Amino acid sequence: MSVVGERIKANSTALIWQWVFLGLIFLVSLIIPWIVSPLWVRIITEILMWAGLAQSWNIIGGYTGYLSFGHGAFFGMGAYVTGIAMMNLEWPFGVGLLLSGIMAALLAVVIGYPTLRLRGAYFAIATWAFGEMIRQIALILEITGGAFGMQLPAFLNLPFFYYVTLGITGLTYLTTYLLLERSRFGYKLLAIREHEEAAEMVGVDTVVIKMKAFALSAFFPGVFGGIYAYWVTYIHPDSVFGAIITDFMVVMAFLGGIGSLWGPFLGAVVVQLVNRILWLTWGEGTFYLVIIGAAICGVVLFIPNGIVGLLEARIFSPREALSQLRKMVKW
Amino acid sequence: MLLQAHELTISFGGLTAVDRLSLTVEKGMILGIIGPNGSGKTTFFNLVTGMYAPDSGKVIFNGKNITGLRPHRIAQLGIGRTFQIPAPFSKMTVLQNVMVGTFIHASTMKAAKGKAWEILEMVRLDEKAEQQVVNVTLEDRKRLELARALATEPILLLLDEVMSGLTPAEAKAAIELIQTFRTQGLTMIIVEHVMDIILSLCDRVAVLNYGRKIAEDTPNQIVNNQEVIRAYLGERYSARN
Amino acid sequence: MELFLQTVIDGLLIGGLIIVVGIGFSLCFGVMHIVDFAVGEWVMLGAYIGFLFVRYLGHDPMIYLPIIFLIFCACGWAIYPLIFRAVSGKRHNPVLMGLVFTFGLSILAKGGALSVWGYHIQSITTWLSGKSISLDVATIPALRFAGFLFGILITVLFMIFLYRTNLGITIRATAQDREMANLLGADVRKVGAFVYSLYAGVTGMSGVLIGALFSIHATMGAKYCTLAFFVVVLAGMGYVPGVIIAALILGLLQSFVGVYIGGRYNLVALFMVMYGVLLITPKGILRKGI
Repeated sequence: MSVVGERIKANSTALIWQWVFLGLIFLVSLIIPWIVSPLWVRIITEILMWAGLAQSWNIIGGYTGYLSFGHGAFFGMGAYVTGIAMMNLEWPFGVGLLLSGIMAALLAVVIGYPTLRLRGAYFAIATWAFGEMIRQIALILEITGGAFGMQLPAFLNLPFFYYVTLGITGLTYLTTYLLLERSRFGYKLLAIREHEEAAEMVGVDTVVIKMKAFALSAFFPGVFGGIYAYWVTYIHPDSVFGAIITDFMVVMAFLGGIGSLWGPFLGAVVVQLVNRILWLTWGEGTFYLVIIGAAICGVVLFIPNGIVGLLEARIFSPREALSQLRKMVKW
Repeated sequence: MLLQAHELTISFGGLTAVDRLSLTVEKGMILGIIGPNGSGKTTFFNLVTGMYAPDSGKVIFNGKNITGLRPHRIAQLGIGRTFQIPAPFSKMTVLQNVMVGTFIHASTMKAAKGKAWEILEMVRLDEKAEQQVVNVTLEDRKRLELARALATEPILLLLDEVMSGLTPAEAKAAIELIQTFRTQGLTMIIVEHVMDIILSLCDRVAVLNYGRKIAEDTPNQIVNNQEVIRAYLGERYSARN
Repeated sequence: MELFLQTVIDGLLIGGLIIVVGIGFSLCFGVMHIVDFAVGEWVMLGAYIGFLFVRYLGHDPMIYLPIIFLIFCACGWAIYPLIFRAVSGKRHNPVLMGLVFTFGLSILAKGGALSVWGYHIQSITTWLSGKSISLDVATIPALRFAGFLFGILITVLFMIFLYRTNLGITIRATAQDREMANLLGADVRKVGAFVYSLYAGVTGMSGVLIGALFSIHATMGAKYCTLAFFVVVLAGMGYVPGVIIAALILGLLQSFVGVYIGGRYNLVALFMVMYGVLLITPKGILRKGI
């Protein structure tokens, strides 16, 4: 027991330093709009939003092991709910956001009830189909403006959107930390991912737990969708329901490391920065898709545990790093 | 009467895996189930634990009809079970695996952790508690299966070929463990192939063949039962004898 | 009544062509348990390659079908080792890894096509385009009929191959029990590579016909991915004979929705039916899926 006791102590000091570090980052993030240029504020806001989106996907995809390939639907749902709330009902932004999250979560429950019964590949296909279907419906309905899209009231205040995004992303990570890393709920999700039948056998109500995870994973994208709608002022089914939203979420989570707390954040940072660089050097719109596709393939082939997986292998020296890398890459 | 299986029948695509099987288990006893491969032993376990719903027949546990209930509900009611091929949660530690089982009854994480430690100490896996399951030997995984099932605080424990793959020394340790459970009042149903174990542990033995129960008696009687010998060793052997 | 009959015929004809997309895809899943998210992209690339051949070499696109078949077979053969690597080894959850991998491939292919050819919509014409056979009760567009015949031909060839040749039997054995087939001497990896390249070749070929019938653009992949999924979900994953019925149902559904409700609702109707099937009979209408 003493060996274990020592490890717990060591973990505590490491834990304290981690909190201090996070606290510092948080304080710095509060003053970002004052210390960097508007362009960078925009970039950082986007990174934050994607970090939150990727983490949301991670909840159902990484922790629970159910790959949702239509997750962008919740983002789009949120965008339109806020749009309709603000334009048609003339409700304030905050109410719209809350409604966006709730409606997205409800949609997840409705879709999840039948779909979560499906395993593996079937679940992926069904959610993919669902995502496409929602986009088609948005193109047809009148209340969404159909193929003409929807306009929201203009509000050009970048720092405002920065802080709101910061807050929601922070909330996403805090929720993931509390509910998934530290609690019974998280353990149950992992159990479901690793061996669903065995989990059921030891008393885990897999149906209810999966539904909760799915709803949770849909809530935040809904809110982000609402923020995005108000921020860019004009939304269209192809922009907010586009497959690219899901594509980005998936690649960021995979690249960073699915099933880990900070993986999606790292993935979001890397992907967004690479995207920016590509924009600058190539300038054109679609080549980044090639990079994303190649990135997904590369990650699956060489680093299935993502960047976090590489880091967790604890690279102490260059030589060990190389041998670890070779082991990981499995030539 | 703790468990009563009554005329359980289930077929898979034309093949009747379990055919009007009836068994009773009294509180505190150890029932052994033997039979050739494919005779329906694991299917029977699956029926009792709710993994399959029978085509007909029913299962009564502790006075309650549990036929068709979902597995997690049956686990909560007090039936625990180990898998023939261990099915641990791979990317978690040994301790975490057991903790998942404790969640039914433990109300806080702290209580869950404490309970899990206790169980690991009992099955002597506490040294490996913080290890990732992937790094653990087969014997340890079997113990983990056991520990995790025990964590749910079962009244009835179903053990599916716990001894397979174990060395004689390991098997001996396992037998001792099972006997301690017995003294703690745990009722068990054991599926096994090794007759020595059946003889040393079980109060009664049921023999299955092609999904049907062909005999049920004390271990000593079973070993001398003609039908059992014929089922296991074949027609020609029993004809010769 | 005439409209009804015409709708039925149109539906069946299209369904026939879609069979080709579904058969390869279904076999792919049945043998290797790989859901190829890039199936639509194979169709798209086939259409574009056909377009390029016609633009730079002239003549009728139909002539190039055999060459395109071979080209795509080679591509499939080249890509398969990567897919194999993605789904094997000590990876967590091989089926899903394969899925994510092919998902990545589809994005890559789509991005590449967009980068090279942009958003322009192309088309190709053959000697059959615009011609039709007129019957009393309905008109049968010649090209669609050719597509239908093509679908039937491919199906027949596949069936003969799978059920009458040694290699076909090996493939079916591998689909049913991989380990056993391995133990009995089948080189599972080669079988997989063969099936995948066959699937790529056939799907690429169908792309040419689809390109001739409809328009060609870089984002058309999603539609055919949907159709392939639909067919395979209805047929039951891995159950090849069911593909015929499922494809025909698909064709009829598309046709009827297009005529009686409105073209915009096509995809929505498709998804709803597919969803319904997934929920009620996930193993396909005939319950023979894996």
